[in-house]
Amino acid sequence: MGGYGDVKMIDENGLRMDGRSPGDIREITIETGVIPVADGSCRMTWGTNEAIVAVYGPMEAHPRKIQRQDRAVLDVAYNMAPFSTTDRMRPGFNRRSREISKVTKDALESVVLLELYPRSKIRVTIEILSAEAGTRCVGLTAASVALADAGIPMTDLVVSVASGKINDVVVCDLNKEEDNYGEADLPMGILPNSGELVFLQMDGDLSQEEFKEAWQYNMDAAQVVHGMMIEALKGGDSQ
Amino acid sequence: MTIPIVPKLLRAHLSELAGKNARIDGRSQWEGRKLVVEHSVLPRAEGSARVRMGDTIVLAGVKFQIMQPYPDRPNQGGLMCSADVRPIAGRNWEAGPPSPEAIELGRVVDRGIRESGCIDVDSLCIIPGEKAWQVILDLFAVSDDGNLFDAFALAGIAALRNATVPAERFEVGEDYSLPVSKTPIMCSYHKVGARFVYDACAREELGGDERIHITLGDDDNVHSLQKGLKGIFSAEEFVEIMTNAQTRTKELRKIVDSL
Repeated sequence: MGGYGDVKMIDENGLRMDGRSPGDIREITIETGVIPVADGSCRMTWGTNEAIVAVYGPMEAHPRKIQRQDRAVLDVAYNMAPFSTTDRMRPGFNRRSREISKVTKDALESVVLLELYPRSKIRVTIEILSAEAGTRCVGLTAASVALADAGIPMTDLVVSVASGKINDVVVCDLNKEEDNYGEADLPMGILPNSGELVFLQMDGDLSQEEFKEAWQYNMDAAQVVHGMMIEALKGGDSQ
Repeated sequence: MTIPIVPKLLRAHLSELAGKNARIDGRSQWEGRKLVVEHSVLPRAEGSARVRMGDTIVLAGVKFQIMQPYPDRPNQGGLMCSADVRPIAGRNWEAGPPSPEAIELGRVVDRGIRESGCIDVDSLCIIPGEKAWQVILDLFAVSDDGNLFDAFALAGIAALRNATVPAERFEVGEDYSLPVSKTPIMCSYHKVGARFVYDACAREELGGDERIHITLGDDDNVHSLQKGLKGIFSAEEFVEIMTNAQTRTKELRKIVDSL
């Protein structure tokens, strides 16, 4: 972040390069039941991001040492497919993917009623098929839809959105250029029914006022996306 | 991949069905599942395809890199094919480095495409000895309900046939369609209940024995063969499936060529 503040990304009418106003989010589609062999699944497109998520379980947790006597364990893996980026992504171990897997797991463990399934495992696999910006948010949001599709009890869905700053203007849902050349990025994971958070990261440079503005953009966007998630889960695609 | 316990009941059921010339999902011996092939489905790939055969779904994506030609072949580019079956595709597939099963998948598909000569590696050279295109075909399983081999091979050739060489992005000229001169097609046969069937589903793979993969080119020439898993087959059985493969590959080639 930073150092690229001279790239002009907001025009004289206050519109962004893709024509959005600062508070607008990109186009989103959500589908469930897209992986026939999985217990629950979700395909989500968000701008030109595309994520697919499969949920398997609750199933036997093995090896036995990972079992918890009082609850289920979540096995969450986030991965970017080799053809998801402009330059091919080399498959294999990757520190970034490991970190995103971990924070996504931490977020989902906060809502899944794990104590209902002692000694078992629920596997959540997030695959990014096309990456633009904000893939961790798409992955986490789609994962909560896939868990619901699998019938796993949760206290709430998780909606994850990022806001940030470009050319000193706070904007919602950064696209690729805005993410590359912007000055800050604030992804959050929000429980839409209570407004509570289960996931929070930030990098860049925001004043206290800008921070509050970005926070509010995320809260507002979460309500919009939540509506689409509910529609998708009720049956039929959500556009 | 964890090898699931094969219930004796499933094997018994499959061989009872075979005795009545029936299959577990109601198909006949040489009947394939409902097939859908789509291309240009991945926005970041230079060529892509999605294949759905029943509940088996796979993706193929083509990416390009600039490589330095190998010293002994200064006028040639390269083709690399890799398959990965990640845990998303089924409960028995596990995370980690590619399993022997996934490696076999990638290599068998690779051989069929490579040996058919459908991609002229000489045409991939940009500056002899210095710069050439490396074509990378990545095969990705979304949902494994059996016969990933045929799904991967079909998606792979469909993605290559619809790929664009991104010369502008690499500043080596104008974009152009990747020349692919042939359409190699794979057909796979599994021994289920003491006879071979075409396009086995996951339950047939689980309760079956050996499998044979045949890749044929445009002129019925044989480009790759592979026998996998424990089992014994006769020359007569092989002639029978080879005859079937000649018919079936023609039908599938028509679908791929018309995309």
